[in-house]
Amino acid sequence: MNESTVPVFSVLDVEKRFLLRKGRGGPVELRALDGVRLDIEAGSSVALVGESGSGKSTLVRMLLGLDRPGEGRVLYDGIDLQQVLARDRSRFAREVAFVYQDARGSMNPRFTIGEIIGEPMRVHRLHPAQDIPRRVALLLERVGLPASVAVRYPHQLSGGQVRRVAVARALAQEPRVIMADEAVAGLDVSVQASLLNLLRELVAELKVTLVFVTHDLGVASYLCNRIAVMYLGRILETGPVDSILQGPAHPYTRGLLESFPRFDRPLRAPLRGEIPSPVDLPAGCRFASRCPCVQPQCTEADPVARALDGRRLVACLFPLSGEVAAA
Amino acid sequence: MDHPAVAEEDVPLLSLQAFSLARGKVDVLDNVAFELGRGQTIGLIGESGAGKSTIALAIIGLLRPPEVALRGSIRFDGVELTGLAEAQYRQLRGNRIGLVFQDATAALNPCFTVGAQLAEPLSRHLGLRGNERRQRSIELLESVGIGEAALRLDAFPHELSGGMQQRVMIAMALACDPQLLIADEPTSALDVTIQAQIMELILERVRARSASAIFVLHDLALAAQVCDRVVVLYAGQVVEVAPAGELFAAPRHPYTRALRACSIELGQEQVLAPIPGSVPGLEDLPAGCRFAPRCDRASAQCAQTPPLVSDGIRSVACWHA
Repeated sequence: MNESTVPVFSVLDVEKRFLLRKGRGGPVELRALDGVRLDIEAGSSVALVGESGSGKSTLVRMLLGLDRPGEGRVLYDGIDLQQVLARDRSRFAREVAFVYQDARGSMNPRFTIGEIIGEPMRVHRLHPAQDIPRRVALLLERVGLPASVAVRYPHQLSGGQVRRVAVARALAQEPRVIMADEAVAGLDVSVQASLLNLLRELVAELKVTLVFVTHDLGVASYLCNRIAVMYLGRILETGPVDSILQGPAHPYTRGLLESFPRFDRPLRAPLRGEIPSPVDLPAGCRFASRCPCVQPQCTEADPVARALDGRRLVACLFPLSGEVAAA
Repeated sequence: MDHPAVAEEDVPLLSLQAFSLARGKVDVLDNVAFELGRGQTIGLIGESGAGKSTIALAIIGLLRPPEVALRGSIRFDGVELTGLAEAQYRQLRGNRIGLVFQDATAALNPCFTVGAQLAEPLSRHLGLRGNERRQRSIELLESVGIGEAALRLDAFPHELSGGMQQRVMIAMALACDPQLLIADEPTSALDVTIQAQIMELILERVRARSASAIFVLHDLALAAQVCDRVVVLYAGQVVEVAPAGELFAAPRHPYTRALRACSIELGQEQVLAPIPGSVPGLEDLPAGCRFAPRCDRASAQCAQTPPLVSDGIRSVACWHA
């Protein structure tokens, strides 16, 4: 295989179960990830989209090597991630940066912003100590903050500014891959818009690979070129943003799209019922209980992801559009 | 129930006039004015600090002197609300004005079952007891789409999902057939598919009773979908009021236009245009139009507060609109 076609990350049928010590009949098993397959190509920007409890954050923890899959494997550059970590953990940590959901909580309150952004450079010995303040100033400028912020502490900054610092800290380690978990959630629209614009520019300019976890399809479509739609621990559909927006193949994706508030359409609630509990997954397709197109077979067989149109994967027995490749 | 006789059809159900609310020397709400007709839904939108929730809390008397100072008027069904005593507010809250809060987990009491909490307004305001009250509770839960309602009465809030808790709160808010429902970000803690279900449910229930509703929302597109009229607030001032469709199709106030331009849409192709600067803190509110320092059309005139000028359908507070 050609070197350049090996994905940065390959997730191969990863499964992760957690035991919850509650319930009357002893411990209960929660399947956080179940048969997850995903390739993340170098230079792409992939959004992991899904509702709460769909397994987005657990999948990111697997990709970061913070948690081991129960079954299946995660490959980094085609090599098993556990091997990569055993060989050179600090190199992996330098190459893959993470932007936390709680930006302020991810910063040491006793460090100044300059120390926070400078730390990855010191830890990974990227620059001589005397160069670090200048580098920090450049990074602050790059994320749209005044250089004077360097001497301040996290609690002195606004929510939007703290998120920018988190991005600057990720850039400081000169990563190949940036992963971000709900990095723009809970912000006012204007602050969110400027942060999204910044991330878009950075991805285009630095050619980094972006893995972006979000519950917001609008954010996903604005920032990323591929979307993976998750539901109850499984990726139900993966594909390029445009083709997913224009012709969703999975009924759940269509439901998500139709539920998204829009200026040009009246309110519609296409899906009924509640998301089933992940400790009590239904037999067959996990979406069957809410699916508007459910067929009798759907409650029997659990559909695996199949290729569609060569560009997409869909885990549905009766996809809405496109031709399923022969198995 | 003792509805006053003045409730003519053409008198709006709720009207705020020159309403200001001050904490210390700061007018957190400055000269707020809007009307809500019978059977209408209105949305309050704006960024954090705009005063959306403050308005909701002031209407239901949860923000009152001496904690804050009030000027101007809030009239509900012909009755002046500012200056009412707590006992009189209690006759309104949960009875003629229903409330749905953003965080159902915090709003429901964790120590009481769903049934016990649902029973409270039914006993207090409607005088229902025993089996009759239980029957009514079951009907209410069913009306908000909760299955196995009789069993759910014995459940504690933590045993229900977020969407289910929100449904319980909606059932409580609707228990006494309120004329007005106030819903403060009723779905922002919920997933988008559940959000659509809950908003559809609230609208359907409100319309079935010909009641009116106030929605506090941060999502502009959602406001466009669920509100007849929208009030745009910025730092405690009303900047524009208009029918939802017209407001977003042709915003007149520069702030409304700016908000629209940074709201993301599905498949957004245009680059989002963030508003320069940030929302002012309460300590350093600018004199005159509070949006002026961030406004691309600001001039010397904007140091004077622009009046909210109405053409009968829309109102806008801008010297340059």
